[in-house]
Amino acid sequence: MIWKTIKVGFHRLGSPASFYRFSTLVSPWLWAGFALCTAIGIYYALYVVPPDYQQSDSFRILYVHVPSAWQAMAGYVVMSILAAIALIWRIRMTEIMAMMCAPIGAAFTAICLATGSIWGRPMWGTWWEWDARLTSMLVLLFIYLGIMGLYAAFDDRRKGARVACILILVGLVNIPIIHFSVEWWTTLHQGKTIRIFGESSMHYSMMPPLIWMTIAVKLMFGAALLDRSRNELLTQDRRKGWVQKKLKSQGVS
Amino acid sequence: MIPEFEYAIYVWSSYGIFAVVIAWQIVQPVLYRRRLMAELREELALQSGDYNDPNS
Repeated sequence: MIWKTIKVGFHRLGSPASFYRFSTLVSPWLWAGFALCTAIGIYYALYVVPPDYQQSDSFRILYVHVPSAWQAMAGYVVMSILAAIALIWRIRMTEIMAMMCAPIGAAFTAICLATGSIWGRPMWGTWWEWDARLTSMLVLLFIYLGIMGLYAAFDDRRKGARVACILILVGLVNIPIIHFSVEWWTTLHQGKTIRIFGESSMHYSMMPPLIWMTIAVKLMFGAALLDRSRNELLTQDRRKGWVQKKLKSQGVS
Repeated sequence: MIPEFEYAIYVWSSYGIFAVVIAWQIVQPVLYRRRLMAELREELALQSGDYNDPNS
């Protein structure tokens, strides 16, 4: 029964008008959740957790660096799933959403690289090192930018999206490379300290802000994705009946 | 009360970058939507014959 409801709901979201309604309704709640989780997370990160015994206060950069890095990779996985659905079943909404994942993922990758570089300067004595983790993360940023560029290069949006979807699936190979880079190669970047399954080497008193910030960026990703997809949908469908009807009924608000 | 940190410049600049990039992610779709709505409003006015040409 629940499965059937989810399935019907998912199929309904394939309709532009339903997606528009859904995103208008859900997005503000996701933004509110993001604001709340970020406020709690940053308060804990800056005021509550103690300094690290080796890195002192510089370790607090972790609370923006790590959630951004995770979201940059998780965002790519979400984008790949959407791209696969778009290519296999030709669902236009998933095509639009896959394309709109790219700028948000690129933003998180940029945050990760910038904050990592800033953290590296006092701890490693260098802003940048061409080690496997850093380089593969930089490649991820280039892939995101490539997807955005490819999509924008086509006058026919749907054709551009289909080509970009193929690039997305090819670029997916970089995600396990990023993840396992610290195990496969000797890197300046530290190895895994936080594990979902198994014991983390990070002290539990330092975990709460990381959890709050991780939830926050996930909510932010969802909210920004819905907003951007809604805008793109309006742009593409501006001459279609459902948009015209909506504009007339709302007086274009 | 702003906490005093060791390596303060590195910590604050990281949080600053995070804030700026996230703020842009919030603002950019809003600005785009505003521009798009203005265009659509103009098109609708043209279709219904209520368009006031600012150059006329």
